Amino acid sequence: MAIATPRPYTVTAVHDSALYRIWVATWKFVRTKPLGAAGAVIIIAMAFAAVFAEFLAPYDAYELNQRLQFRGPTLAHWLGTDEFGRDVLTRLIYGARIALFIGLASSFLGATAGAMLGIVSAYLGGKTDLWLQRVMDIVLAFPLLILALAIVTVLGRSIPNLILAIAIPVIPRTARIVRSSALSAKENVYVEAARAVGSSHIRVMFHHIVPNIMAPYLIVLTAQLGGAILTEASLSFLGLGTAEPTPSWGLMLSGGAPMYAEKAPWLAIFPGLVISLAVFGFNLFGDSLRDALDPKLRHRS
Amino acid sequence: MRGLKIGAFLLAVVMLVGLGAVLPALAEEKPRRGGMLRVALAGDPPSLDMHQEQTFMVTIPMSPAYNTLVMFDPHGYPKVIGDVAKSWTVSEDRMTYTFTLHEGVKFHDGSDLTSADVKASWDKIVSPPEGVVSPRKSEYEFIKSIEAPDPYTVVFRLHYPAASFLGGLAHPANFIYAKKYLDQDPNYYKKNVMGSGPFKLKEYVRGASIELERNPKYWKQGLPYMDGVKYFIIKDDGARAKSIRADRTDVEFRGLAPSEVEGIQGQMGEKVKVTHPGQPVHWGVTVNIDKKPFDDERVRRALSLALNRYEMAETLAPLTGLDTVGGPQPPGSLGALTPEELQQLPGFGKDSEAGLKEAKRLLAEAGYPNGFKTVLTNRAVKLPYIDLGVYLVSTWKKIGVEAEHKLEESATWSQSRLNRDFELLVDPYGFAAAADPDEVMSKFLSNSPENWGRFKDPIVDELFEKQKVERDEQQRAQLVKDMQKRILEKTWVIPGLWWTRLEVRSARIRNYEPMPSHWLNRRLEDVWLTEK
Repeated sequence: MAIATPRPYTVTAVHDSALYRIWVATWKFVRTKPLGAAGAVIIIAMAFAAVFAEFLAPYDAYELNQRLQFRGPTLAHWLGTDEFGRDVLTRLIYGARIALFIGLASSFLGATAGAMLGIVSAYLGGKTDLWLQRVMDIVLAFPLLILALAIVTVLGRSIPNLILAIAIPVIPRTARIVRSSALSAKENVYVEAARAVGSSHIRVMFHHIVPNIMAPYLIVLTAQLGGAILTEASLSFLGLGTAEPTPSWGLMLSGGAPMYAEKAPWLAIFPGLVISLAVFGFNLFGDSLRDALDPKLRHRS
Repeated sequence: MRGLKIGAFLLAVVMLVGLGAVLPALAEEKPRRGGMLRVALAGDPPSLDMHQEQTFMVTIPMSPAYNTLVMFDPHGYPKVIGDVAKSWTVSEDRMTYTFTLHEGVKFHDGSDLTSADVKASWDKIVSPPEGVVSPRKSEYEFIKSIEAPDPYTVVFRLHYPAASFLGGLAHPANFIYAKKYLDQDPNYYKKNVMGSGPFKLKEYVRGASIELERNPKYWKQGLPYMDGVKYFIIKDDGARAKSIRADRTDVEFRGLAPSEVEGIQGQMGEKVKVTHPGQPVHWGVTVNIDKKPFDDERVRRALSLALNRYEMAETLAPLTGLDTVGGPQPPGSLGALTPEELQQLPGFGKDSEAGLKEAKRLLAEAGYPNGFKTVLTNRAVKLPYIDLGVYLVSTWKKIGVEAEHKLEESATWSQSRLNRDFELLVDPYGFAAAADPDEVMSKFLSNSPENWGRFKDPIVDELFEKQKVERDEQQRAQLVKDMQKRILEKTWVIPGLWWTRLEVRSARIRNYEPMPSHWLNRRLEDVWLTEK
């Protein structure tokens, strides 16, 4: 969508590089959408933690230590230790990995599959549209968590199954939104022209419609990411996600936390806080991104 | 907050003073009639027929409805006393036991319990008809025949003079059923309760509660004291502990986690009694011998050597109650390996570094210098299964063994165990009677259905055969020790830790002493409750 960004008048040719344009766009986003920027900061921090966990984490995430069971927050262990004497901060940092990986993979998979179905459904119309949308209606009727629960119960617990289970409920939600955008894009004169010169359906869909639905697609992607992280945490909490001793936020909240919350409240507080913060960050960012990318809202700000 | 604390403190003082005044009086107090005992139970019984089941979820709520031929003395474990049997004589060669039954023993439907019922029940256990399961059958291989020459005499003839005979007979699962109903349908007792015990079934609401009421015509004069027993089915570990804490139940007969018990004691003080009656269950790892690389002795030994069981006990004790290092025979039982003997065996040394080094060397020798990937199948139950699994998976990482922790629901897990659909399996075993080697060690025989790893060691089998007929206790203990040493040296299984049961009960429960196994002493016929 860089084409749509108006070029600042004062800029001289020296500064007219791609990097500079990104910088200007970013700065504009920060200035006009401070909340969105805050969300982005949270996301970046999380990604940083996930990528550089080995260097950031003060301890080994798997090392058990019977002399350190249930230690409260201290200088050596900022967020305390858990029932096995493992450092809570370390496990939260490593937990970002699972959360981001499962979150990204499942929302990408779900949103992409949903977008494809939405485009096909809108473009072909007629009976195909009718049938596809009724199937989507059925899937939509199930709440996100319940559907994911059912899928993971049938498939068994493993990381690929978990990603699939979280991705499937995302499909109809994306398909709905993308379909409406694609419906209007389909009416453009250049689509008609492309058809007239003999382009195939596939070519029309990918070359002329896909660029038009990128905005809603990206928005759904970020919006679902927060939800996906939460679903992963909930599934792990319910004992259907990843298994101990893999460091995962949901597991940290479900494992020792309910049992020892009275004795060691930090076991419940910090993972809970981190999950809330991550979901909050993605939602803030997704919201602002929608405002920034929506052409109807863009010129108002 | 402060006001509340002072209030609580004053209340505690008043209660203590009050208790001090009451205690001497209690010492001479007569058993009180009436009252309802409320028990917290971890789950629904799979069926009601204890002959066919393998879980305390049946033994605990069903024991009060039945009698057994002989039993462990509720006030003098492990002495075996008569229950339905009034007395018995033993032949010179110890191959024939003749039991004389009490007269006037009545089933809940009013019919008499006679030798025919005893024979029918024991025949069902020893040689189950088609369509009937008898999981403990192999513990009674010494029984040759059961005869009922007259209505009040039962004769057990044995293949050989088994040392474990009386203890095995007193196993709490061996209820005496009525022949009449077994003849109608050998699976009658799966859905019905018709015994001769001090309590009878009033109502069973699946998933909620099992209620037993007093049997007013109980054949033991003047018993039982209580009006009834109600078992509340509470699946969540924490909720069960909290039910005692909130005085909604009086006792958890199996055992609670040490951290929960701490909380209960802190709040209830003198109102509860906490006991550590014994170590009835061992949680360790069963190795599927048919799967590579576990056919290699060096690999199995490396996995065992990587664990420092003394440190493991320190870590897991406060979380789960898995706190005792021991061999296959329960600590303190006949033939149990002493701590000194254990330390000579692989995986029981106290030096972690040396253990890890040797483990890595063995793995390298076996062709896995960088370790390998495997799967540890476990039951999705937090205490102590998952906690033990976490310890194992985390520790094996140190020798490069990456075990995926595969958690399965209880039913799936036991199916995987039965079908041997596992590489490494967290697997408990234990005892429910007198911890006789015949009961505990039979799991390790080549032909045992409970030998889930399917290792076959003729030396182990031979030692077992020898010990089961050995009359000299000392000699027998030595044979049992040799058998265990052989199992541990070959690392046929990877031992974990023995679990110390922590039983928490209301101080209102009187005339009751917990026994090592949570299956035992669940009849409650002479237990009584003080006033609220």
